[in-house]
Amino acid sequence: MSEVILRADSISKSFGITKAVKNVSMSFQKGEVRGLIGENGSGKSTFVSMLCGIYTIDRGQFYLNGEELKIRNQVEANNKGISIIVQEMGTLSGLTVAENIFLGHEDRFVKYGIKNTSSMIKEAERLLKQFGFDKINPTAMIDYYSFEERKLVEIVKATYFSPQIFVIDETTTALSKQGREELYKILNQIKSEGNTIIFISHDLLEVIKYADNISVFRDGELIDTVPSQNVEEDELKKLMVGRKLTSSYYRRDYGKPVSDEVVLSVRDVSVPGQIEDISFDLYKGEILGIGGISGAGMHELGKAICGASFYRKGKVILYNGTEINSISTAIKNGIAYASRDRDVESLVINDSIRNNICLPSLSDLMVRNIISDRALNKFAKDNADLINIKMEGINQFVSNLSGGNRQKVVLARWLGKNSDIIILDSPTRGIDVKVKADIYSILSDLKRKNKSIVIISEEMLELIGMSDRILILKKGRISGEFFRDKDLSEEDLIAKMV
Amino acid sequence: MKMKEKLLNLKNNKLFSRYKGILILLVLAVFFWGVFKILTPQNFGSWENLFSYMQTSLMYSVGACGFYFIIIMGLFDFSLGANIVLSGILACIFSYQFGYFGLIIAPIICGTLIGLINGFLYTRLKIPSIIVTIGLLLIYESLGSVIAGGKVQILDKQYQIFGSSPANILLAFFVFFLASVLLKYTKIGTYTYAIGSNEFIAKSMGINVNKYKIIAFMLLGFFAGVMSILAVSYGTSMAAATGMATMSRNFTPIMGCFFGVAFKKYGSPILAIVIGEFIITIIFNGFVAIGAPTTIQNVVTGAALLIIVALTARTVKGVIVK
Amino acid sequence: MFRFSRINEKGASFFKNNNVKKYAHVILPLVGLVVIIMIFGILTDMSILYWKNIKLILNQAYVLMLASTGVFFVMTIGGLDFSQGSILGMASIVISYLSFYNIILAVILGVLTGAAIGAINGFSNAKLKIPSFIVTICTMFLFRGVCSYLTTSSPVYATTDISKYNTMNLKILLTVIVLLVMFFVFRYTKLGITIKAIGAGETAAWFSGVKVDNTKWLMFVIAGAITGFAAFINVVKVGSVTATGGSQLETQIFISLVLGGLPISGGAKVRFSNIIVGVIMYSILNSGLVMVGLETSMQQLIKGIIFLIFVALTIDRESIQVIK
Repeated sequence: MSEVILRADSISKSFGITKAVKNVSMSFQKGEVRGLIGENGSGKSTFVSMLCGIYTIDRGQFYLNGEELKIRNQVEANNKGISIIVQEMGTLSGLTVAENIFLGHEDRFVKYGIKNTSSMIKEAERLLKQFGFDKINPTAMIDYYSFEERKLVEIVKATYFSPQIFVIDETTTALSKQGREELYKILNQIKSEGNTIIFISHDLLEVIKYADNISVFRDGELIDTVPSQNVEEDELKKLMVGRKLTSSYYRRDYGKPVSDEVVLSVRDVSVPGQIEDISFDLYKGEILGIGGISGAGMHELGKAICGASFYRKGKVILYNGTEINSISTAIKNGIAYASRDRDVESLVINDSIRNNICLPSLSDLMVRNIISDRALNKFAKDNADLINIKMEGINQFVSNLSGGNRQKVVLARWLGKNSDIIILDSPTRGIDVKVKADIYSILSDLKRKNKSIVIISEEMLELIGMSDRILILKKGRISGEFFRDKDLSEEDLIAKMV
Repeated sequence: MKMKEKLLNLKNNKLFSRYKGILILLVLAVFFWGVFKILTPQNFGSWENLFSYMQTSLMYSVGACGFYFIIIMGLFDFSLGANIVLSGILACIFSYQFGYFGLIIAPIICGTLIGLINGFLYTRLKIPSIIVTIGLLLIYESLGSVIAGGKVQILDKQYQIFGSSPANILLAFFVFFLASVLLKYTKIGTYTYAIGSNEFIAKSMGINVNKYKIIAFMLLGFFAGVMSILAVSYGTSMAAATGMATMSRNFTPIMGCFFGVAFKKYGSPILAIVIGEFIITIIFNGFVAIGAPTTIQNVVTGAALLIIVALTARTVKGVIVK
Repeated sequence: MFRFSRINEKGASFFKNNNVKKYAHVILPLVGLVVIIMIFGILTDMSILYWKNIKLILNQAYVLMLASTGVFFVMTIGGLDFSQGSILGMASIVISYLSFYNIILAVILGVLTGAAIGAINGFSNAKLKIPSFIVTICTMFLFRGVCSYLTTSSPVYATTDISKYNTMNLKILLTVIVLLVMFFVFRYTKLGITIKAIGAGETAAWFSGVKVDNTKWLMFVIAGAITGFAAFINVVKVGSVTATGGSQLETQIFISLVLGGLPISGGAKVRFSNIIVGVIMYSILNSGLVMVGLETSMQQLIKGIIFLIFVALTIDRESIQVIK
C-alpha cells in the first residue's frame, strides 16, 4: 500500500497565454484511490489528460514505477497500463461495440493484414459478460445505445486490460444512480487487484466516501493533499476556493426586497428530452440563479428563453406582451444571452475585439444606413474601457485574449447594447479568481441599474453568493426555489438537485 | 390482425432488416425501368439493353467505390476525372509497347501515384481537400495534354478484351470484392470510419490520421486507374482535355458514392453503390431513349446530383454547412 | 546545426508576430503582382507594358473583375461558388435575345436571370443545408446543359448595333461604378460587416441576432446578379453566345481571388483589394503566358502550380479548426 507507483515532477502546461497547469508535483501509491478536486479551470483535468496522453506536457515529467513516462497518445498510455474515461462521449459513432472496445488495439486480431472479426467479437462478448453487461451486443452499432450504455462500453474499453492507473474524469455526474453503482463495483474490483485510481468529481461527498486521499487544485496549482478520513466538506471547499471565501467577492447585501414588476414570463416551456413544463417569472432588477447538476437541463433552458432553441414548446413573453421566438426578436427587445460555450457561441474568436463588441449593435450605429469606422471604434473602446478589458487595443483578435478577458468582451457587447435582461450561462467558467471578482461587481452594478439578470451555473457558491432567488432544476423540471439568505448552504441546494 | 403480426415479425426479423436497404434500391431500380419502359417500349428496357446498361454502370461503380473511402472521412477529390484521363492515356500508350501488361499496370501505377501525390500534398500543405484537388486537377489535365501531344490516344483492337463481358465484369467484381474486404476486414476500413466519425478522438486513440488519409487517397487513385482501364476499353480511346473539362467525369461516380453513404447503415455500402449506379445508368439511358437531346444529359446530371444530395444529406439542426 | 535551428526559430517567431501575419494577406499579393509584372516584362522584352497590350489585358479583365466581386461576397461568408460561368452564359443568352427590343430591358433581365440562378444556389445552400460547392457545381452543370441546348442549332446572336456600346470608356465606367458600389457596401454598411462575422464565426453571429440564413441566400443572389450585369459587357464585346459561353470563368475567378490573397474560408481577414489585385495579377499572368507563346496545356500547368503555391502561403490555418 505504501509503494509509490506514479510520480509527477513539476508538470506544467499552457494553452496560448493561459497557464493551465503550473509546476505540479505529487506522488501516488499503489492501490490508492486518490480524489482530485477543484473548481472549473483549476487544472485537474488538464493534469490527468497529460498523464493519459491526451495532451502533451510542456515541462516536467511523469515517472511510472520509477521510469520516465514517454507517451504520445492514449493508445501508448494504454499500453503502459494507464487509461481514462472522460465526461464527454468517448466512443465513436459508426463503429460497432466491439470495434470501439478494441479501437487502437486491433493488432492482436490482425493476421497478414486481415482482421479476424469473429474472434474480436467473441472476445468482446466475453468481456462484456465478465463485466456484467450482457445486454450489450458486441456486433451492434454503438449508435444504437444510449449515452449511459455507451459510457459502460467505454468503461470496458478502459479497464479490461487491468490498468495500473485508472482515471475517472468527472464521469459520475453524467451517470444515473444505476450507472454509478456499476462504476463503483468496477472501482472496487480494480482496487482489490492492487491498482491505483484517480477520481475526479465535483460531488465532494462522493469523493470523501470513496477516496483514500484527496488532492485539491486551484488556479493550476496543487494546493494540498489530505487524507479523506475525518475531513469535512467545508475544509475542502475552503482549500478549493482559497481565502476568497472570507473576503466575499460575491454580493454583500442582504434583505433588500426585489421589485414585483415582472419583466419576463416563462410559461410551460418544454424541450423534448431536456426540460419539461418550466414556468417562472423574472422581476425587474432581480438576479435569478438557475442551478442543478449538469444534464438537469439548465443550459437548454437558457437557450430556450432567448429563442435559440429549435424544439421549444411553450411561451416566453416579455412584459409588453411580445413573444420571444427567435434570437433576433430577443435581442431587438433587449434580451442578451451569453452562452456557456463562449468560444463558439458567444464570440467570433477569429475577429477583432471591436467587431465582437459592435456586432449586435450595428443597427444602432447606423447613420443613414452608413456605419463609419469612427463610430465602431468609439463604441467598442467606450464599452471595453467600462469593464477594463486587458488588451493591446480594440483591433486585437479575440483569439489572443485569456478566458477571463474573452468573457469581458461578451459583457462589453451587451453593456453596449444596453440590454435590460441579461442571461448568462456559466459566466465564470474557467476564469481566474481576479477576473471573477471583476465580473461579479459588474453584475452587481447592472442590478443597481435595474437590469434583470439570469445566472445559470453549476457552481453553487456562485449562485448562493449572487442571486436574489435560486431555482433548482432536476431532470428537466423545477424542483426547488430558494431566496437570498445568509444561511443558505450548498447542502440545501444539493438536496433538491439529486 | 394476422397481417399486422406478420409485418411486425418481418420487421423484427434480423435477416430482413439487414437487407432492407438493398430491397429498397432494387425496388427503385425496377421503378425507374418501369417508367421509361412505359414511355418508350421499343427503344428501351430489353434484356440486352439492361445487360449493356449494367456493364456501363460497372465502370462508374469502380470509381465510386474508391471515392467512398474519401467521402466517409469528410474529404473530397475533384481530380478523379483528370486521373482517369491521364491514366487512360498512359494505358493506351503502354499497351502498344507492352500489350495487356502495359494496359493494366500503367494506369494502375499512374492512378495510385496520383492518389499518393494528392494525399501527400493535402496532409503536408494543410489545405482543404476541395481546394488542393482543384489545383491538382489543373496540373494533371495539362500533363495529360502534354503527354498525348494533341492526339487522341487509341487503344489497339487486339487489347480490347475489357470492353465486353466477361472480362470487364470480372475486373469490376474483383475491385468490389477488394473494396468490401478492405472495409470490413482490415484496419483500413475501421480507421476510415473512425476518422470520419471523430477525427480528434481517433487521433488521441493513437490512429495515425494522416497516414490513413493518404491511404484513402491512394485507394481512390488505384480504383481510378482501374476505372480508366474500363473507360479506354469501352471507348477504345482516350482524349486529353483541359479547362476543367474532366470535371464531368467526376459526377456519375460521385452520385453512386452518395448512394453508398446513404445506405451505409444497412451494412453493405458497396452493394448499394453498384445498384445505385445501375439505377443512374437506367435513368440516363431512359432519357436518351425517349429522344431527349444530348445536351439534356448535363441538365439531368446536375439536377440528379442535387436531388440525391438533398435527399441523403442528414441535417442536424444547428450544424454549420458552408 | 545549432545555428540553423536558432535562425529557424527566429524566422518562425517573426512570422508568428501578429502584425506580420495580419498584413501578409495584403503584402504578399502586392509583392506577387510586382514579381509577375517583372517576370513577364523580362520575358516579353517589356512589350507587355505597351499600351496596346495593356488595352488587351484590360479588355479581358472587365467581366472577370465584376464576376469575381460577386463571388468575393460569397467566399467572405465561407461559401464557394462554381456556377458563375454558366450564369454568364445564361444571362448572355437572355441579353442577346432581348437586345433586339430594348437594351435597358435586356440588361435588367440579364441581371434578373443571374439573380434567379443565384437564388437557386442560395436556397439550396442556406435552407436545404447542402454544401455550397456541391450546389454550385450542380447548377453549373445544369445550366451549362441549358445553354448548350439553347445554342444547339447555332450561336445566339445579339443585335449588331450593340457593338456601339463596345467602347473602352463605357466598359471602364460601368466596371468602376459597380466596384465602387460594392466596395461601399462591403466597408460601410451593416451588411458588409455582418458577412465578415458570418465567415469568421457563423454560430456566434447567429447568437448575436444576425439572420444568417437570409444573408447567405442574399450573397448568392448578389453574386448571380453582378455576373448577370457582367454578361452585358460580355455580349457587347463578343456579340454572340455559343455553347461554351462563359465556361472556365469559375476557375479564373477562383484563381484570381486566391492570387489576390483572399483567405479560402472568408472571415475577418478578407479585403476588397483581394479582388482588384487578384484579377489584375491573373489577367497579366494569362496574357503573359499567351504572349510568351506557351501552348494551352503548359499555361494551365503553370496556373495550377502558382495557384497551389499561393493557397498554401495565404491560407489562414488557425481559423479552420479541422481541415477537411
